[in-house]
Amino acid sequence: MSDHISYRKKQQYTVLFAFLFIPTILLLLFVIIPLVKLFEYSFSDWNGITKTYHYIGFDNFIKVFNKMPDVWLSLRNNALYFFIHLFFIPLEIIMAYMIDKKIRGAGLFKTIILLPFIINGVAVSYMFSAFFAPGFVNGALTMILKNLGLDFLVQNWLSDKEVVNYSLVFVSLWRYSGFHIILFLAGLQSIPKELYESAAMDGAGEIRILYHIVLPNIMTVIEIVLFLNVRGALQVFDIPFVMTNGGPGHASSTFTFYTIETAFKFNNIGAASAMAVVLFLLIILISKIQNSLIHGRKFLYDSN
Amino acid sequence: MIPINKIINRTIFYIFFVIIGIIIFLPLLITVFASFKTARQISVDFPLKLPSTPHLKNYITVFQRGDLLTGYLNSLILVVFTLLINSLLGSMAAYCLSRFRFKLRKLFFFLFMLGMIVPIYVTEVARFSVIQALGLYNTRGSAILIYAAADMMQLYIIIQFVKNIPVSIDESALLDGCSYFQIYFRIILPLIVPAIATLATLKSIEVINDMYIPYLYMPKTSLLTMTTSIMRFAGTRYARWEVLSAGIILVMLPTILLYVFFQKFVFKGITAGAVKG
Repeated sequence: MSDHISYRKKQQYTVLFAFLFIPTILLLLFVIIPLVKLFEYSFSDWNGITKTYHYIGFDNFIKVFNKMPDVWLSLRNNALYFFIHLFFIPLEIIMAYMIDKKIRGAGLFKTIILLPFIINGVAVSYMFSAFFAPGFVNGALTMILKNLGLDFLVQNWLSDKEVVNYSLVFVSLWRYSGFHIILFLAGLQSIPKELYESAAMDGAGEIRILYHIVLPNIMTVIEIVLFLNVRGALQVFDIPFVMTNGGPGHASSTFTFYTIETAFKFNNIGAASAMAVVLFLLIILISKIQNSLIHGRKFLYDSN
Repeated sequence: MIPINKIINRTIFYIFFVIIGIIIFLPLLITVFASFKTARQISVDFPLKLPSTPHLKNYITVFQRGDLLTGYLNSLILVVFTLLINSLLGSMAAYCLSRFRFKLRKLFFFLFMLGMIVPIYVTEVARFSVIQALGLYNTRGSAILIYAAADMMQLYIIIQFVKNIPVSIDESALLDGCSYFQIYFRIILPLIVPAIATLATLKSIEVINDMYIPYLYMPKTSLLTMTTSIMRFAGTRYARWEVLSAGIILVMLPTILLYVFFQKFVFKGITAGAVKG
């Protein structure tokens, strides 16, 4: 009998080895080693071309924050994406709540609202480049506003330093809001319907239901969306990369955009790696702060 | 009698429905219309005016001057190989991590988790040297292996499915003399086909839409994907708005079609990831 068990154990290890070997190798090669190298390069002066490089301590980190003013400009732009998306989250929850009511047409609406998230992001960026183009080259938005007699609203959507980031944030909202709504909807659908029924029997209004039943029950999804928002806002890249190339000047650069530029345009792998490490730490730090903030809130309404 | 607050609720919903619908479709419609217009029409017409006669020349120009066919083909190759490798490796790993308790199990979870937190794009700063050292630069293998390497979300979802299969099935199969390999191939794999279909749909959309990995590692013209071929085309002198619009529509179509046909799987995958992940 014990022979039989040890035979089974042996077979288990064979399966484990056979099934986990390739995934482990892939993970090591393409995720773990690059991550370790990223930390290593961040302490070096490597330019990506020469065979050798020197370790220079924390110089890159100091340089990134003291001698590269566009880093702060880029971070400010990231903050704009972060806060505007954050501002839309309550609205997204309400939209999901309305879809969940199964009003006629809600299914179709659900399909439509996720569409922008599914469509190719690069194609979307080119589409909006045309949409925001200046009037004389078929700028659709400018032409529409002029036809509506709203000339005073017309801006240089992509070439005015003060406006460009709002145009790009709009594209980001267009793409990702629907996805957030669908995530919230998934959370809402896991709430047992009896909870709503008993609340309705107690005569609770919509706002009280939202606050006392919906919010506490979708906390996990809210946490996920908040995390995705931090990660997404700090990693904005393809929209400015395709639409403005960070311009005019560096006005619409983001932290990720600037990191990539530092690495592959200015061949400064050392500084770029330091920026990547900072980004990695920022994502973890801000998510932690966010989580402790919403858990503080949760505690508040648990007690009353 | 419908209660008054229900009527108000519905009215508010439909108002939102219409406004959001317009915001979503407005730029898409303008692009579709522009793709069928001539250069002259596009500069004088109101953007929302229907094209007078559908003018197909823009689409022909994109196919002649752009590398769209190469792009379609390469994207298809990337999707097929990524899906094959991913569903096999993902389900094997999920089987091991949910059925066996072993010493390094926690470490595996941690490593896969890291793959999810690591920021995309900026990691390429260091991954670039690994890709070059492995001789994968300017090969399709670079993208396929990167797509296959880390997908924690996917692993989580498959693990949920495997956990839902009662262990008693495994045990009775063992008593009947099945090996663990046979249990995976004959019992687990067939039972998680719906999970794999769900993930395959999401992964296909992700692979087709990905920009940066093919842009960085597969710059050769013969290796352009759908996404990078439109980027290449946008930089040429043929890319006037009406022609580029046709290109944009052609690049958007495959994922839109996937979405229309496999919508059920898309929603299932997102729900599973959000609620259980």
